[in-house]
Amino acid sequence: MRRLIIGMTALTLVVGACSSDDGSSGNGATEPAETTELLVFAAASLTDAFGEGIGPAFEAANEGTTIVFNFAASDALAGQIQSEGTADVFASASGTWMDAVQDDPGVVDRTDFVQNRLVIITPPDNPAGIASIDDLTNDGVQLVLAAEGVPVGDYSREALGNAGIAEEAEANVVSNEEDNAAVVAKIVAGEGDAAIVYQSDISEAAANDVASVAIPDDVNVIATYPIAVVKGASHAGLGASFVEYVLSADGQTALEEYGFQPIS
Amino acid sequence: MRSRTPTALWFLAIVGAVFVSLPLIALLLRAPWGDIATSLSGAGAGAALRLSIVVSLTATALSILLGVPLAWILARTRVPGRSVLRALVVLPVVLPPVVGGIGLLAALGRGGVVGRWLYDAFDVQLTFTTWGAILATTFVSMPLVVLATEAGLRSIDVRYEQAASALGATPRYAIRRIVLPMLGPQLAAGAVLAWARALGEFGATITFAGNLAGRTQTLPLAVYETRLTDPGGAIFLSLILVVISVVVLVVMRDRITQAA
Repeated sequence: MRRLIIGMTALTLVVGACSSDDGSSGNGATEPAETTELLVFAAASLTDAFGEGIGPAFEAANEGTTIVFNFAASDALAGQIQSEGTADVFASASGTWMDAVQDDPGVVDRTDFVQNRLVIITPPDNPAGIASIDDLTNDGVQLVLAAEGVPVGDYSREALGNAGIAEEAEANVVSNEEDNAAVVAKIVAGEGDAAIVYQSDISEAAANDVASVAIPDDVNVIATYPIAVVKGASHAGLGASFVEYVLSADGQTALEEYGFQPIS
Repeated sequence: MRSRTPTALWFLAIVGAVFVSLPLIALLLRAPWGDIATSLSGAGAGAALRLSIVVSLTATALSILLGVPLAWILARTRVPGRSVLRALVVLPVVLPPVVGGIGLLAALGRGGVVGRWLYDAFDVQLTFTTWGAILATTFVSMPLVVLATEAGLRSIDVRYEQAASALGATPRYAIRRIVLPMLGPQLAAGAVLAWARALGEFGATITFAGNLAGRTQTLPLAVYETRLTDPGGAIFLSLILVVISVVVLVVMRDRITQAA
């Protein structure tokens, strides 16, 4: 036992030393003298699309600008904007929370900028032969959904209801996962025959490990994302050009690369 | 005469005690007691409690069945690589359970190293089944049996067994009649710790076995899912776990503190 403790302590020290090295080299990087920090509050589902795609591209096009992203659930972001009021730009995963911010403290230039559709995913070899949403009710299909109460879990059930197969599909559910990433992980691991997630939930890393089957628009639960400059923003002008960039052809292409779809 | 305890020590000790007990008190304060009947009579609570009992007891039995022989090998033999073996066996104690779950998926999942073969050759699938939940739980609780039993075996003088064998007892007879009775208290403490750990298991279970009411949704998983839709109900489910844990601690208080 004592050797185990000593071993663990040594390991902790080594790991700690490595990470502090990383930290110091990061801090040591020279920063431009004059930078403007644009504070963008964006829905968690935009983490990759904004953080890796649009953010760096916008920074490159606007020298001296650093975007600070705050990614979280849209309702949490709306609450933070109302209580702290520090955001320049707000990108919400639903109109509801943009409505809240529009009421208090108010927004400028509100525009719907992208849509996100539910999609069926299966392992690449599609072992249960799922070709349409109706196939989810076939005998023995192992269906993985997000739990009720998780937004994508509720929307998945709404779509199954729209397709008129709520009960039959629910009988095939083998697991109610705790979040979107956990649902995708089960299919990537080859467990489960099918699952329902938002198109943007399929990360770049997972894209090769799942196949997808479209859900028709008339039963799909399509999320429409609005973006706006928050009233009273410290950098309203720069915020407006960020919104403009998101709506531009370049911005829309970047969003599509991360699984989002243009407004139809 | 007692030495005086410094005030600063008192102060920090009180902060520590409040910090540990406050969440439990808060659970009691925040529980919507008026809704207790409807919250607990829901099908979910009963099914989760039943499943938790089945899973935790089966996992404990498996932990004893496999853990005691392992402890014996570690304590009484000189197998080469014993210290590596011990580190491996104890690893799940310090490993985040979700890592254990991912490992189990890679090993025993339908597409896993061994699981693929089980599925193709025998049509056996462990993920999304109660057996999957039991295996995930055993993975995290067995080390506690091994640790307690090994410590117990080391405290028992080998000469008892030597004396027994000098008097004509077979090794198996000596283990059964001499070692196991002396090992009893330590083994019981290890088993109870393992059971308590099994009852609270969350990460490995949800990662490997998934979360389905009546099949893999044990109490901790039910707490997590209920929290999203019925925060009050989640508090009552949590309190069931608290009550069971308190009872275990009270019944086993001396043995557990000694073994740990």
